[in-house]
Amino acid sequence: MTTQQTAVEKVLALKSGKASVRPGEVVHPDPDFIMIHDGVVMGAKRELDALGITRLAAPDKVLMVTDHDVIYGSARAAERGAYNREAARVWGVKNFFDVGRGGHGHIFPMECGLLLPGMFYFDNDRHATNAGAIGAFGFRMGTEISRVLATGTNWVVVPKSVKLTIRGRLQPGVHARDLGFHIAAQIESGALTEDLDYRVLEYAGDLDQFNLAQRAALCSSPTEMRAYGVFVPPSEAILAHARAQAKIPFTPVYADPGARYEAQLEIDVSGLEPQIATPGGVQNAVNLSAVAGTRVSHAFLGSCGSGMWEDMVDACNILKDRRIASHLRLFVAPGSEATMKRLARENLLQTFIEAGAVMLPPGCGPCNDAVIGPVHSGEASISTAANNNAGRFGARDAQLYLGSPATVAASAVAGEITDPRHLQ
Amino acid sequence: MSDAYQWQLAGRCYKLGHNVPHPGGVVPNRIIVGRHFDAKDIIPHLFEETDPGFHTRCKPGDIIVTGKNFGMGPKMNGYIAMQALGLGLVCESMPFLAWRAAIGCGLRVMTDCVNATELCETGDELEVDFRNGFFINHTRDIRREYPPIPDSLLELVELGGNTGWLKQWHQSRNAPQP
Repeated sequence: MTTQQTAVEKVLALKSGKASVRPGEVVHPDPDFIMIHDGVVMGAKRELDALGITRLAAPDKVLMVTDHDVIYGSARAAERGAYNREAARVWGVKNFFDVGRGGHGHIFPMECGLLLPGMFYFDNDRHATNAGAIGAFGFRMGTEISRVLATGTNWVVVPKSVKLTIRGRLQPGVHARDLGFHIAAQIESGALTEDLDYRVLEYAGDLDQFNLAQRAALCSSPTEMRAYGVFVPPSEAILAHARAQAKIPFTPVYADPGARYEAQLEIDVSGLEPQIATPGGVQNAVNLSAVAGTRVSHAFLGSCGSGMWEDMVDACNILKDRRIASHLRLFVAPGSEATMKRLARENLLQTFIEAGAVMLPPGCGPCNDAVIGPVHSGEASISTAANNNAGRFGARDAQLYLGSPATVAASAVAGEITDPRHLQ
Repeated sequence: MSDAYQWQLAGRCYKLGHNVPHPGGVVPNRIIVGRHFDAKDIIPHLFEETDPGFHTRCKPGDIIVTGKNFGMGPKMNGYIAMQALGLGLVCESMPFLAWRAAIGCGLRVMTDCVNATELCETGDELEVDFRNGFFINHTRDIRREYPPIPDSLLELVELGGNTGWLKQWHQSRNAPQP
């Protein structure tokens, strides 16, 4: 009998030329591609240049994306943009997504068929875990991305896998992002598992209810709880999307039935209410009703966790024929150029603008050191940002609340934290 | 790998508790946000907020022994200083990316060393072999075996971490073929 493996073990074995791998084993996988974002190209190139390394191992595999400081909030950012452009030229990187191209690196590759089920890639950024939404893996390398660029790979310790089985269906008006916050809170309290540090969280169970955007949402909160990977086995609908977009063949990967997990957990989601992650972290999730009525003056829709087409539609369903509160500003950063175009095509851009929202270029939006649209001291914000750690997008003493796209839209209309089911 | 590299360290124990954060607990936060990665800039600030002057009292071979969750995140500045000072690090646990950062700085480090802080006190004479996992407290006559640095990462540590490894990799590729 062949070794029974989890999804991440199968992918890492395949990419490392091995029949099987075990947690704890060190491997050097050959990635399908290598991603680096606009904020770290300069550091990586300077490091390599100082060592005399001017040629990349596989420039054709490199995806340079521009999502962290898209419109240059400072002269320094403009200088960095020029540097990145020159780096792409010198390195011979063809897949360079410059300002206004592509969008958020953890969103648009899944949408346009660059990232496909069963793939593995290296990334400098930890939100590469979003790859799990389409049934792939992206591993964060941090500053070690320079070694990947130079040599084509890096050492990887095969992570342990934890299986989380979803039972039941979410109620209407309850979003996968709500579930993500709830899972984070359950991990924090020890009710689900004590620790996700460097684990891969592999979902199972009633997953067909989740579209690609909701799957990205399911990847978001476990990442903030230190998961190194998240995996949602692709449904037939996800495979159909991938097939429609793919320019190259791909083979989806699923865990073997006898795979061994560090822990096997279950959660019933049928009674879940909309959640709010209260300031300090996604794990501070409570039922929305506990904080309903909290006044907010800043709202943001977007980020790797909630920046896809369906997220925008969820928000527009609330915002249609409504205006945001007069004391509040709402920023919207669609995850990709494709989504921005589709919003325009289907008149939803009009809905956002008529409601009083400010459209930001596709990318991270405020959820990156507040290069645009920050909060100020003493303010309260409701958003779909990746996390609400103190200072995530502005003053450290600002109160950052997180909710689903519909919750953010409803709260923007009311000017206070509001259950979206009251406006649907 | 060269035989000269010292995998075995012998020196005094410097014991810390659980959940020591990198910012504040290891180096001041300003060293991290200021992106100081040069050892000489970091060394004077190692444990500055909890034990000013630590760097003047420690000696190469001394071993820092910590409780659980040391570092509490993937920062690397403190490990650069520890490596340059010739110190070793033995932790009951570290977040994985903290351990990876320490290895990437070329630090002799072992994690998942169960109950290590119960086996020693600051000032004890310790001997630790990071290649085979032996932990010996000569003061208390205690001996344990812990998970060593994985064989496949020994070269990375020996070469001083990521930069040293890349330098060697690049030079070996450019060396004239025999």
